[in-house]
Amino acid sequence: MIFFAILLVLIFVAQIAEFFIPALPWLYNAHIYLVPLIVFYGAMVLPFPFMLALAFYAGILLDTLTVQVIGPRVEISLGWSILLYAVLAGIMQGLRPLFVRGRWEVHCVMAGVCTSAIILAQYFMITFRRGTFTFPREVWWQIGAPGLIAILISPIVFYILHWIAQATYPNLPGRDRFE
Amino acid sequence: MKRSSIIALLVLGAILGLLFNLGPDKTRGVQGQVYQLLSPFLTSGSGIQKQITQVRTGLKSLEELERDNNALQTENRQLKATNQALRDVEHEVNRLRHALNYRERSVFKLVPAEIIARDSSTWWHTVTINRGKEDKIEGDMPVVTDEGLVGKTTTVSENISIVLLVSDENCKVAASVEGTREQGIVSGERVTGGLTPMLNLNFLSKQANLQPGQKSFTSGVGGVFPSGLLIGAVKSFRTRELDGQAQLTPAVDLSHLEDVFVVTGRK
Repeated sequence: MIFFAILLVLIFVAQIAEFFIPALPWLYNAHIYLVPLIVFYGAMVLPFPFMLALAFYAGILLDTLTVQVIGPRVEISLGWSILLYAVLAGIMQGLRPLFVRGRWEVHCVMAGVCTSAIILAQYFMITFRRGTFTFPREVWWQIGAPGLIAILISPIVFYILHWIAQATYPNLPGRDRFE
Repeated sequence: MKRSSIIALLVLGAILGLLFNLGPDKTRGVQGQVYQLLSPFLTSGSGIQKQITQVRTGLKSLEELERDNNALQTENRQLKATNQALRDVEHEVNRLRHALNYRERSVFKLVPAEIIARDSSTWWHTVTINRGKEDKIEGDMPVVTDEGLVGKTTTVSENISIVLLVSDENCKVAASVEGTREQGIVSGERVTGGLTPMLNLNFLSKQANLQPGQKSFTSGVGGVFPSGLLIGAVKSFRTRELDGQAQLTPAVDLSHLEDVFVVTGRK
């Protein structure tokens, strides 16, 4: 429970931090996303109901901070990010046996893929709303680059989170193996 | 599947069903409350970010200093030359300002605001300002700088507001072009690769033949933006199957915005 609370606080802090991390102009203005990494780590170690709670929390934060209400129209309804996070976190949880066996690289790659999947889904949704289905090179970079960055930084983020989990979460899957 | 998991899934499904059916007003309300909750963190984060940026920009290598010195010397020579010319212009400007009584002609009530956060998402172009309902800010109010149009407010909470930038595809502005009878709709691009976002002026006539450098202003049609606010300058013009389209360079440097004004009404 303590670890779950820590994850909630970390997600909040990461969400605030994302506001102040500038886009990377040399990568077609790609953004750095930290929240998905925390959610995906949580998905690997927490039980299913807690994983859903984490997805709900991160999703509602993301939605309320990004959703645009233009006049009488909501571009993407509140709740879509929750659904996305829940599905992707569910996939990550399905790979837990690998995590328990110490195969972290799969989760690092998957964290990147899932981060890009969130941005791709957002792009699909706004494209569906606004029309004109276009996929210029910049789009692929803006979708792919955050995923690549997530793959690169996920080992560090996962290591730190795992260290916290070992100290605060008695039910950590595969604890005996890690110890 | 465990019973607790099934219950959690059902609860999440019910909440999602509720959220998907929220109308724009309620969505705005929820959004405003979350922003209100975040506002102290965003405000203090903005302060910390400014301090970090100041320290970072203060640290320069010898090479950079030398380059800066050379650039400043060149700039100094240019400024000396233009200074003399400006003395003559100053006299004329004073005369014209007096004649036009510029201050009295300014019909807008402006609320100064500071940008405390930029958009953290990939697909939306917004900034957050430190003014809200307490300062009589409402949704759909134009946001400007002395250089031109910045955008409009969307979600407003007690002391924080979201500004949809003119570079966002969703921000549509009725516009006219100086020296012509052409009118069109300005909107941003969905995807911007470079630092400076470009704007598109759509629905022009095919014969418009706009020239680079021609300025585009708000036309006042639509009711959100008052007429006469500078939007940008024409960069290029092309004809499409049904209409003409001009690409505009925004008048305001949207990537380095710090202070803006919200137009709350007329004087």
